[in-house]
Amino acid sequence: MGGKVTCTLGEVKQRADFIIYWGGNPAECHPRHFTKYTIMQKSKFLPRGRKDRTMVLVDIRETKSVKAADIFLQVKPGKDFELITILRALVKDQAVSDEQIAETGLTREVLDDLVQRMKAAKFGCLFFGMGLSMTRGKHMNSAALLTLAAEMNAFTKFVAMPMRGHGNVTGADVIMRWQTGYPFGISFNRGYPRYNPGEFSTVDVLVRGDCDAAFIIGADPGATMPQPAINHLKRIPTIVLDPHVTHTSRLARVHITTAAQGIGAGGTAYRMDEIPMPLKPALKSPYPTDEYVVRRLNEAVAAKPFWLPEGKVPPMLTAQV
Amino acid sequence: MTLQVIDNATCTFCGCVCDDIQLHHDETRIHQAKRACVLGTAWFLNHTAERKYPDALIDGREAPLDEAIELAATLLHEADMPLIYGMSNTTCEAQKECAALADQLGALLDSHTSL
Ligand code: SF4
Repeated sequence: MGGKVTCTLGEVKQRADFIIYWGGNPAECHPRHFTKYTIMQKSKFLPRGRKDRTMVLVDIRETKSVKAADIFLQVKPGKDFELITILRALVKDQAVSDEQIAETGLTREVLDDLVQRMKAAKFGCLFFGMGLSMTRGKHMNSAALLTLAAEMNAFTKFVAMPMRGHGNVTGADVIMRWQTGYPFGISFNRGYPRYNPGEFSTVDVLVRGDCDAAFIIGADPGATMPQPAINHLKRIPTIVLDPHVTHTSRLARVHITTAAQGIGAGGTAYRMDEIPMPLKPALKSPYPTDEYVVRRLNEAVAAKPFWLPEGKVPPMLTAQV
Repeated sequence: MTLQVIDNATCTFCGCVCDDIQLHHDETRIHQAKRACVLGTAWFLNHTAERKYPDALIDGREAPLDEAIELAATLLHEADMPLIYGMSNTTCEAQKECAALADQLGALLDSHTSL
């Protein structure tokens, strides 16, 4: 997600007078997002708080977040990409046919009004959730939305930000970008990092049965992934690090209990706007931290011969035609 | 019994990462998480410092930590194409170690983002 037009939640809190949530349900998934960062806050630039801000919600169905929104746009399932593209055209006064608009389940009046409001805003912010980035179109949807935000800057200040979910996923992106240059879907099997989601992303790797061992940390694919992927995890030696004995632990060869981050283990976690936050663990866990266990693992692996003997090139380099 | 209070603790349950939580705890259990939302409260109150699970499990049997680490290292080292996956519910410090592990093993490295 490098290169996106974005900002911090602090800026949103201080300045954003036009907020769009797309494909997310912050009222239930990020309960304090409204009150702590976005619509409810009063600031120097928006002294009347909620009254100075407009909130739009775009989703395929009515969720609890609708109550908080000024405008709710119900888009037909799977038509997000089309809607974003239409908006990009309307913003630039390009012609869009009525049929194309009808396909998204919305009307021209509604969209014209939205575009006008977007242009009239002083500081617009698009938050997009899994409803956009995990449905038909996937990362193409996110890319289109980020482009819309970038293009809006011809008229006014506009930014976009993903609503990241569970725990420290943002941190994982940031750390992998820092260490390898890529955010996820990385392979080191040529001795240097390569990036190719679809080939190296976990679901695909597991469903195809490509890997012959798995190390799972801070995740429970045994509960969330498709059955063929779980079946492959059962076939190969799987190692799990988790504060609980999870579904994945039950099918794993090795499970190691670790302290929960932020409760028994200290360290750093990234907020969704990529701001690092120090953790303040309250309890003394009887278990070691993830960091300690992975470092011990690293030492244990380092004590063994390197997988690529000195002077040899990785076999898959020579195997390639 | 008086509870100890920790101010401005950080909740990592969702991407908001609220850093203004006040925790009241007795060293084994958090009794109150002020300013946290329902999800955050559940997250803090459900984790305790009790020894609920064995240190480690090997093939479903209880095992000491050192043995589990040694076996894990061997399994990963023996594999031709190991996969390192997850890293959502863990600290950046551990994530960095995971990147190093993937580098050392010539492994695949992936997070929840790719789903
Ligand atoms: S307190 Fe609630 S909104 Fe804040 S990080 Fe925790 S779960 Fe998210």
